Amino acid sequence: MEKKKIIEFKGIRKVFPGVVALKGFDLAIYEKEILGLVGENGAGKSTLMKIMTGNYQPDGGQFLLRGQPIVLGGSMEAIEHGIGMVFQEGSILPNLTVTENLFLCHEKEFSKGWFISESAMVAEARKALEENGLDINPTTLCGNLSPAQRQMVEITRLLWLSRLYRHENPILILDEPTTVLLEKEIKTLFEILNRIKEHATVILISHRLEEIIENSDRIVVLKDGDYVTEMPGKAADIFKIEQLMVGRDMVEGYYRRNEQVDPTDTVVLEVKDLAIESILEPISFTLHKGEILALVGLIGSGKEELVKCLGGSMQATQGSIYRNGKRISIKQPKHAIAHAIGYIPIDRRIEGLATDLDIADNINMLVYKKLKSRGFINKRKERDNANHWMGVVKVKATSHRMKCGNLSGGNQQKVVLGKWLSADAEILIVDHPTRGIDVGAKDEIYHHIRQLAKQGKSMIIMCDTLEEDIGLCNRMLILKDGKKVNEVSCPPDAKPAPTDIIESIV
Amino acid sequence: MKTKNSRSLENISTLRSKVSASAVGKLYHSIPISGQIISLGIVALIFSLGTNGQFLHISNIMTVLGLSAIPMILCLAVHQVIILGAMDLSLEGIVAITAVSAGLLLKNSVTANDVGLWIIPIVMLIGGLAGLVNGLLNTKLRMPSFISTLGMSWTLFGVAIMISKGSSIPLRDLRFQKVIISEFLGIPTVFILAILLGLVLYIMQNKTKLGKHMYAIGGNEILAKQAGVKVDRIKISIFGLTGMIYGLAGLLLVARLNSSAARYGNNLLFPAMTAVAVGGVSLSGGVGGALNAVIGTIIVVALNNGLVLMQINPYMQSAVNGIVLISAVALTIDRNKIGIIK
Amino acid sequence: MQKDGIGKQPAIKRIKGRVAGLPAISYALGMLVLFIVIFAVGSATFLTRYNMLTIGNSAAILLAVAMGQVFAILTGGIDLSVGGIMSLVSVVLMKTLEPLGFWAYWLSLAVGIAAGFLNGLINSRFRIPSFITTLGSNGIFMSIAYMISIKPLSAPSSSFGVLDIVNGTTLGIRNIMLLGVLIFMLFFVIQRYTITGRNIMLLGSNEKMSWLSGVDIFKVRTIAFTLSGFGAALAGVMLASNLYSGYPTLGTVYILNSIASVVIGGTAMTGGAGGVLNTLVGVMVMSVINNGMNIIGIDVYAQQSFLGVLVIIAVAISFDRSKLSVIK
Repeated sequence: MEKKKIIEFKGIRKVFPGVVALKGFDLAIYEKEILGLVGENGAGKSTLMKIMTGNYQPDGGQFLLRGQPIVLGGSMEAIEHGIGMVFQEGSILPNLTVTENLFLCHEKEFSKGWFISESAMVAEARKALEENGLDINPTTLCGNLSPAQRQMVEITRLLWLSRLYRHENPILILDEPTTVLLEKEIKTLFEILNRIKEHATVILISHRLEEIIENSDRIVVLKDGDYVTEMPGKAADIFKIEQLMVGRDMVEGYYRRNEQVDPTDTVVLEVKDLAIESILEPISFTLHKGEILALVGLIGSGKEELVKCLGGSMQATQGSIYRNGKRISIKQPKHAIAHAIGYIPIDRRIEGLATDLDIADNINMLVYKKLKSRGFINKRKERDNANHWMGVVKVKATSHRMKCGNLSGGNQQKVVLGKWLSADAEILIVDHPTRGIDVGAKDEIYHHIRQLAKQGKSMIIMCDTLEEDIGLCNRMLILKDGKKVNEVSCPPDAKPAPTDIIESIV
Repeated sequence: MKTKNSRSLENISTLRSKVSASAVGKLYHSIPISGQIISLGIVALIFSLGTNGQFLHISNIMTVLGLSAIPMILCLAVHQVIILGAMDLSLEGIVAITAVSAGLLLKNSVTANDVGLWIIPIVMLIGGLAGLVNGLLNTKLRMPSFISTLGMSWTLFGVAIMISKGSSIPLRDLRFQKVIISEFLGIPTVFILAILLGLVLYIMQNKTKLGKHMYAIGGNEILAKQAGVKVDRIKISIFGLTGMIYGLAGLLLVARLNSSAARYGNNLLFPAMTAVAVGGVSLSGGVGGALNAVIGTIIVVALNNGLVLMQINPYMQSAVNGIVLISAVALTIDRNKIGIIK
Repeated sequence: MQKDGIGKQPAIKRIKGRVAGLPAISYALGMLVLFIVIFAVGSATFLTRYNMLTIGNSAAILLAVAMGQVFAILTGGIDLSVGGIMSLVSVVLMKTLEPLGFWAYWLSLAVGIAAGFLNGLINSRFRIPSFITTLGSNGIFMSIAYMISIKPLSAPSSSFGVLDIVNGTTLGIRNIMLLGVLIFMLFFVIQRYTITGRNIMLLGSNEKMSWLSGVDIFKVRTIAFTLSGFGAALAGVMLASNLYSGYPTLGTVYILNSIASVVIGGTAMTGGAGGVLNTLVGVMVMSVINNGMNIIGIDVYAQQSFLGVLVIIAVAISFDRSKLSVIK
């Protein structure tokens, strides 16, 4: 059966300062299909989506919609052309009713003069919801709906709009639609999507490959901003897709592997049966002095929450944590800090730095007590401490009074590192240490991590890519769906291959 | 219209879950402002016990309604901005300037002006322009509304005193006062005016596109913008509309006292904000409407009237209002939505 | 991600583009010089010794309340109750002067500190925005002042000696000015040289990060508002002593004036930038404007309008829009 192309990309290209997000490839999307789009973070999925919804303009190549080249100025314009996106975080207003949300900004379809006919709106809403097989009262407040229902309302809205603009085959883009849903709701969602497919195109982005394989007609794999391959959905093999997504050669010497040291036998941190209700099942592990432990798993594996429990920004519902053999309780970040556990967050600008303040303020913030003389903070001690740690982590700046907001990503990361080192943190939780940092600075960060391990600091890391995890760590814990599924040791001379690890992750 | 009004109950969800199962609970939900009616009932009960029933005497009820008219109009004005999730503290300044303008433009003993009924569009225009500036400062210069409107309030108050030369201007046109102090079927006319205004705003909020979009902005400005709501334009119009209503209130104040002075603007903001909060209009935006503003004002005025009847030190009133304001906000604010509380 | 919030800001961008790079305090200093020149040219009496002393006198009081206010604003909040606190404190001082003598000062300051502590507690523990908390508590403080005395209270002549702590002179300098200098030094040291001061800056700059770095944000916020109450209390006793009286509306104008001083000095309403030194300059600008306008015969209320406009302009320039995704 020959299907008609609805969207076609020809040599599509998008460049951001310093990064080529889309390298100029061809891709066709057909009518009446569910297309699964997969790739790692940074593979170019979201850039592609944003071009389709008019939020980005391509820098090169063509974007053809229904055979015509098109330039979309924004998401509203995209909707007028029959392209709608259901966002991960949802775009339903909780303080409006289902009806009001469905027809927001299109009330004039139901107006007589200045006034809106509420009854006509509700009737139309009921009809639209029923068409998609939804049993939702159109007069309920959306705040009282479940996340799944809200998503359905959003989908209904997009379909209704595409009909309003007279599009026979609308295009629905769903970004990670299942992350907020329960098992049963996921089933319903896909039932509905399969029904919608009869008269629409659905583009699915998800980290959960099983879902993609089970429900897509066709799967397209992207990697590093480029098209890798495509395959029919039902026949696809999950490992193969993972390999295609990741598959990069390990560069010898990269990650400063030669500098890797073996940890000592001293256990500095022990986690026993730590669990978070409905997120993480009881997990136990140890961390040794001088060890780099990588936590590996997909989104939803529970690794993010696990480190939050150790850092104090989240609380476990059961289990215990031992520090140097003594049981400790971490209810707030300050408790973790008191036990010399530091947290280097993924989003430096929001969670790691005071960007309004200068480097010295940021490096010294945890140790003001040490910088006092006669009861007051001593400016000279402050300057000396800042300069000392700036030197250690090699921050490139004109002075310790430079504002952190004006530093490059790599230098900001070094300031955060300096802050924790200055506070004598012995255990560092490093959440995506190289996110948003250029290659040269990355290598410096690797160097610092190695140096710290040599000095006996212990680290728990979560990296951008699996290779980085493997390359950096002494040992890795693999988590899946809130469970520890495997533990792999990664000595410098016998690093496991990424493909072996993937098997346990998915 | 049940659904729209149940907004006001959103934030007392704990109370709600407790009562929802029972028959009383059903009744509670079927009336849009049940929570506020219960508060009013409690206020009435306490004061009628405290004053041997004097509080609930028909003449006192009419007094309360008459007294609540102008605060109600102000509350109806300011609650519109609060639905947007913004804040308007320019009330006193705008009322002062419109009051003084009315005093100088109507037949008075200082100037030779007499614009007669034209004064109504004139005060609305003055107030509306001031409101427009508020809206422009917020949307185009992207300043937080609570500080820009505070600055506006000071500015306009100063201007009002300057043009009135700091003194009262007695009016010589008695027609307006006559309307204000008259009664219709035993109900103070000015109260009827306030209720009519409430009705107009209620219809606007529930039956027009502008109203729906106001709530969308209050719910989440970014999402509303994504959906195609013309956020800036609506914010500016609502600030402008609010200013126009302040202008009307300024005129009514002048008419009631048959004279005008800038200080008529004093001490109006605080009761209006208290009424907004007590009525269940959430300061975080998007929740509550004209009905809430109306009942909120009646509660606040009844409370103050009751304190007077019980011969409680009149200066305690602002303390009572302060406590009521803080507690009402504590109950209605959606802390998840405003994120960090500053 | 954060950049999304900046959105379009054409008018502002143009203004900012031209003056970018200069620290906020330089605008305030420029303004100070400008106004001094204007008034010196406009009036022969402005630069006289006597007038300078008058300016110093009023500046000392404004300085005290603004020094407190700036801590509330540095956390990203605002304190609208400084007027109520000043009034309450003035009434308490005058009421207790006779029985307590010098101790009345300590009592009055304690009342102001307690009032500020209450603000901080309500703001941080019940999580109510500070402008509502303090709008409400301002009413409460004024009410209490009214309950203590409806009529203005005058200092009993037997206690005039006690008031010399403010009104007297030491080594030929008026005590009130010495107090002003001491207060400035005290708050300067608190902001720059104590952990609490540093934590207030951190909190205002990035609250989430502060919490993740172990700062007790409830405590710090409460302390900031307590300091604001302390500043208002100092101003209240200084003003009451200066006037030999206290009454329940004494402090009202200082709400506007303290906020104006802080923002004119260049402290951002978003918190975390600016501080005590900026506010000192802001207070000087305010005092010069008030005095100069009086001298060249501009109506008191025209001054209020002028300040309102100045505040709007100062905030429009200094407000950090990238910090908030939505400006409400």
